[in-house]
Formats: sequence, C-alpha cells, structure tokens
Amino acid sequence: MEIERHKTDVLIIGAGGAGLFAAVHALQTNPDLDVTIAVKGLLGKCGCTRMVQGGYNVALDPRDSLERHFMDTIAGGKWLPRQDLAWTLIEKSVERIQELENELGCFFDRNPDGSLHQKAFAGQTFDRTVHKGDLTGIEIINRLIERAWSLGLNKLEEHRAIALVPAKDGSAISGVLFINMRTGTYHFVQAKAVLLGTGGGPTMYRYHTPSGDKSCDGMAMVADLGLKLRDMEMVQFHPTGLLAGTGTRMTGTVLEEGLRGAGGYLLNGAGKRFMHDYHPDGERATRDIVSRSIYAEMDKGNTSPNGGVYIEMKHLGPEIVAKKFKGMVERCADCGFDLAGDRVEVVPTAHYMMGGLEFEPDGTTALPGLFAAGEDCGGVHGANRLGGNGVANSTVFGGIAGDSMGRAVTAGSLWRDPDEHMIGKAVARAEQPFGNSGSENINDLREALYASMWDKVGIVRNHDGLISAQSDLDSFTEALNAIPIGSGERRFNLTWHDWQNLDSLIAVSKIITSAALAREDSRGAHFRDDFPDTGKLEETCYTQVQKNDSGLQVNMVPVVFSIVKPGQSLIEDEAGAPS
Amino acid sequence: MTKILTVKIWRGGKDGTLESYSVPARKSQTVLDVVTYIQRHLDADLSYRFACRVGMCGSCAMTVNGVPRWTCRTHVDKVSQDGQLIIEPLKNLEIIRDLTTDMVPFFEKWEKAGGRFEGKQSRADKITAIDPDSKKRLAASAAIECINCAVCYSGCDTVRARDDYVGPAALNRAWSLFNDEKHTGQRKLKKSVKADGGCYTCHTHANCSQSCPVDLDPAGSIASLKRSYSMFGSRS
Repeated sequence: MEIERHKTDVLIIGAGGAGLFAAVHALQTNPDLDVTIAVKGLLGKCGCTRMVQGGYNVALDPRDSLERHFMDTIAGGKWLPRQDLAWTLIEKSVERIQELENELGCFFDRNPDGSLHQKAFAGQTFDRTVHKGDLTGIEIINRLIERAWSLGLNKLEEHRAIALVPAKDGSAISGVLFINMRTGTYHFVQAKAVLLGTGGGPTMYRYHTPSGDKSCDGMAMVADLGLKLRDMEMVQFHPTGLLAGTGTRMTGTVLEEGLRGAGGYLLNGAGKRFMHDYHPDGERATRDIVSRSIYAEMDKGNTSPNGGVYIEMKHLGPEIVAKKFKGMVERCADCGFDLAGDRVEVVPTAHYMMGGLEFEPDGTTALPGLFAAGEDCGGVHGANRLGGNGVANSTVFGGIAGDSMGRAVTAGSLWRDPDEHMIGKAVARAEQPFGNSGSENINDLREALYASMWDKVGIVRNHDGLISAQSDLDSFTEALNAIPIGSGERRFNLTWHDWQNLDSLIAVSKIITSAALAREDSRGAHFRDDFPDTGKLEETCYTQVQKNDSGLQVNMVPVVFSIVKPGQSLIEDEAGAPS
Repeated sequence: MTKILTVKIWRGGKDGTLESYSVPARKSQTVLDVVTYIQRHLDADLSYRFACRVGMCGSCAMTVNGVPRWTCRTHVDKVSQDGQLIIEPLKNLEIIRDLTTDMVPFFEKWEKAGGRFEGKQSRADKITAIDPDSKKRLAASAAIECINCAVCYSGCDTVRARDDYVGPAALNRAWSLFNDEKHTGQRKLKKSVKADGGCYTCHTHANCSQSCPVDLDPAGSIASLKRSYSMFGSRS
C-alpha cells in the first residue's frame, strides 16, 4: 500500500477549540515554524467546541474569585480532579477570555452598562458564564477559523488520524498516520511535535449528544501506544436529549438545561410529574440526579412511546417559551415538535467524557514530543464537569500546549524516524474490512454496541452488568473483524469510516468498562447500585488504565490534594451545587 | 402500509447522474436522515458530509428539490413534492464525490473580503465596555451568527456568473466587522470590500436572504456596505 509522506515542524490533530488555539499559539511563540493542522471533517466545522451552547466560565467579577471558581470545580468534580490542572484552567481562563474578545474579536453578550454579561449555570456559586446567546461555540470557533485561515497553516481537512506513530526506538513521537478521506489514500506526516486535540465524545451510547464525526479516535490511539488514561469511567449524561426514534440523527441531541431551570416539567409516560419522588429540588436537581431519576422511570416502564419521558413547557405560556427559548423551539419545530405548546419526548443522553489521557499542566504527556489538550485529556474535571468549564478547558489548554510546542521545537530540533512496523500494522487494520466477507451487518453491530453500553455501562452500573458488557465488547471486536463494508470504493467512503469509528469506539468502551468496574464507589457521573456510597473523600483514588500485551491494566491511584484537602476550603462559604 | 419516498440522489463527480432509491417515510425524518438511510441500508458507498446534526456546524447543506438547504434541520414533509425528493450537492462549489463539495473557495473568499478581526488590545488587557444598544453593535450583532454553511453562496446567481465574486456570507461578515468598534483594520476592510468581486458586484437578487437557514440578511448587509462606503467617499 502506497503511503504519501510529508514533514512539518508542528502537527496538530483536531480543529476544535484545543487544536485551533494550539495552532495560533505555536505560531505566535515561534513564527518560523511550519505548522500543519489535520482534522477529520472541515476545519472548525466538525467537533464539539462549535456546538457549545452554554458558555465560558471565568471569574472576572470583583465579587467572584479564582478561589471560588476553583472550589466549585473541585466540589463539582467530587474531589477527583487533579488540582494543579484545575487551578491552571481557572487561572488561565481569565487571560483566554480576554484574548478571545480582544485579539480574536469574539462578540460576547453585554450588560446594559457595557460590561460582559455572565449568566448563572448549574453547580456554581457565582454567575460567571460568559456567553453569546445560546450559540457561544459558533462565535468562538468562527473567529478562530478566521485567524487560522489567515496564518498560512498547512491544512489537511478530512484527514482521519489512524495511528500516533512513535520513533523507531520508542523514545518519542515521530508523526501521525492519516487516511485522506477524500482520496482514500494513506498519508504519514512526520513532525517534531504533535498535539492530540481530537476531542472525546461518548458516541458509543444509544443516546448521545456529540457531533457525528466523534468516535474517540484520539483516546483509542493513545491507548494503543500504552499511554495511561485516567477517570475513564466518568461519562457525563445530559438529562434531556431529544427522543425521536431510532431512524433519525436528531435523537440524542441536547435540549438545553435552561428549560428545566425556567420551570419546565418532566412527565412520565402517564403524564405525571415524577422528579419530586426522587429529589426535593424536582426538575431543578443536578444533571446526574435528574438523569438517574429519568432512568429509574424508564426502568419501571413508565415511558413515552419511544421509551423516554416528556418535557413540557406550555404552563409557562407558549408565547413566553417561544421567545425565551427561541433556538430550542425552532429546532424542535424543524423536526416536527412543538416545544412551546406540546410535550416533547426526551431521554438522558451521553454528553462528555471527563476522563482521558494523563497530561501535565504545560500540555506535555509521558511520550516526548506528544502534547495533548481538550476532551482527549483527563484529570481537569474529575467526576463531573461543570457546564461552562468544557470550552474553557479546550481553549485554555490548547493555547498552553501551543506555547509549549512553540518553545519545544527549535532550530536544532530533528525529525525522528518512524516505527515502520507500527505504520504497517495500522494500514493493515484499516484495510481489513475490504477483505472481510462475513454476513453480519455494520448497522446491527452499531446498535448492539449502543444497547450494551447504555444498558450495562450507562447511568446506573453494577458488577454483573459490567462483566456482561466486557463479554459483549469482546464479541463485538470479533464481529467487527468479520464485517464487510460493501464496495471496494475508498474515496470518501463513509461506511469504511463507520467501520473504523466502531473500531475506536469498541476499544474505548472496553476502557470505560474496566475503569467502571474498578471504581467501587459512586460519585458524580459514576453510579454503582452495588456500591451507592461515595466513601471517604480523603481516600479518593482515580482509575488509571493502561493497555499492554495481556489486555487492560487498571490501577487505583490516590489523588494528591496539592492545593486543598477534603474538609478544607479556599473560600468562606459553601462551594459547588447545593445537593 | 408504509409510505415510500422516491429519492433521486446525485452520484459521482461533476459528470455524475441522478440515481433513484426508495426510502420508507417516517414521522420524524429529516433530509439528512433520508441520505443516512440510503448509505446505511441501500448503497454503502454514498458520500455526504455532516457533523453536528443540530444546525450549528453548517457541514450538511445540499440542494434539495432545487433549493439549497441545511439538511439536518429540514423535515422531509417540508420539502418533498408528492413523496419525491431530488438531492444534489451544493451549487457553485466543485463536487468532490456524490453530495460532497469542496468548500475551500468559500472560505478563501471569506478571507479575501477582509473577514478577519484585528484589535489593538491584547490578552493582557481587561475587557472594555461596549454599549449593547449602540447602533453599530446592534447592526453587527444582527449579522454575526453565520454558521458558514454556504447555502447563500450556493443560491447566489452572481456567484454563478462571476467566479471572482466573494459572495454573500463573506460580505455579511465584512458588514459585522464594519460595525465592530474594536476592529482596527477598517481601511483594509474597505479596500477588500470595494475591490473587484466585492460588494458592488452584488446585483441584489437577494436569494441569499431568502435562503439563509438562520434568518440572517446578507443582502441587507451588502446593501448597507454599498451605502456606507459610498457615503464616506467612493475612492478607496
């Protein structure tokens, strides 16, 4: 198989908040660099940063403080975050929001006096979320795309990364192997530094919110290198995804949190409100509690026709709802639903992965030359991510990693010869489906993966279910290894990429499941009905998964409380969400 | 009995042809869902592009029964004619394969029209106040929420006639920068917008404003650019 080869100084994979910021900063730090950005879709148009509705958490108000934002993040993360990472996020978000507004020209909503408007967001003790209406991500990414287009970057759009390739001697990264999706050909880009910024996206669950291109490719690739991933059991579910049946890509997409905050009702299949049966805050309880409560109603069979529950807003006045939640009402209307005046079916939906590759506050990883930022990384959010800390995470750490790469790659830096064996192996894996002739169907396998992860590794977990999921996942690998993909067409063949997406998703599902099995307590996004208690916070450990020849090795590693210990606080009053 | 949609889809490159497929109609079904059904169940190597599924990324635009649209937010019932759909790639962009087009010229023209912010403050500076109700801010805000889906570009007769015309989305962005009081590159912007292929190339057919899925008014933005630059002297 022919492989096209190129060299660049800095190679960035992913063009969301992390990748684009890394590109901009690498060139600002060192304008002489040749920087290449590769992305699975179109630059800035695929991925999840663009889809941010809520906004950007940052402590700007004199009555707020870095300490308060930090404590909210630690309390929200159930003491699991790596504290130096969380502190970096919070401290640097101030500079980053100023950069977004002052240097990139983002429009953010204002107060009548002209200052930035900062809105309330769940789980926080101060209103600190900067936003552009409910389309903050589009504004941030559009301004970043404009900057990226003007910088003279090498752009590899619709290039799918299939392997991070180490140097021959394994001492550092050598480059990345891609499939040019348009031509269906292989392309190896050798680089002195590589940024992993592909994002996460838990799309292995029956209901999920992320962009359709997301399939955890980055995490699958770093696992293949034997690098350590942490907190992988922590998958955040958003309580209200649109439920419109299996035949539509609309299913799973987010109906925003604000609907419940404004007084929306959740009704079960019989039309009865149920949230107060589970929690005194009713519909306004935190994401994890509402998701679990909906799941419990579904478990009891109290469901709507498509197997979920309803959200109802009309008691607030259809005209008021249509005005206040214009975007949501219009989106539902486009899909044939009347959110303002009627009930709409909803279901909890997999939204964000708090876990990922272990990395350092400067963006470096255990493999020299490999940098990482954004949802590919773990440790910033712990057991739960606050709404508004996600886009802050990708942009803060993307920028930092860009600075680090700009400094790391100097005139004297050399390219490293790649491990050709690994390139050959990755090509063989990608080529495999063209030689398959099994009778199973890729769509059936996708649905089987969705079902197993949703039922057994989802909102409520236990030992027996997780063991059963492990055996399902092994059988899915076997099935995938035999599934053909139709024609031999390689150019822009989505079904080929569906096959590879499933390959990544199954690999990462195994990691999630192993981590979930190892965590014998419940906190944040992870709930075990056989271990419902959180246990002693001061003995908090994080899960660390490493792939080796014999499979997945899971360790429980004690969290170092480097800034504040459980029972202590940096602020006087209570942090985090009232429970 | 399940209702069946008759769907014709563009296959191949610029010399491609329409191929016909039968797709079961469903209650909740967008045009993107129809295309997905065909790829998943009828013709595994059909090419198309999509990402976010919710009208935020602007990746999935196609020509549906002759009109450019975002397919993830277009319910079949809204556009099918007697159960028939003809789905083709966006016009005015080169076809890569089937329903995918090369959007590079669209973004190059965005840049060519001056679509890039320049400011005098840096990340070290505190954010300065901006009156949200000032005339300029309101004008900029009205134009800013473009998802760069290229629906307007694809529907523009002038783009079709003139290769060098930067198109409605790029000029709409220029109009938001014209009104951005923090933008320091106004001279450069004026030059780019008034250049050949810039705002004066527009014939105000206003297909752009009619087709914009997020209800922006690029035709209005372009008209305002023409007026503003004439008002402040026509020489660049």
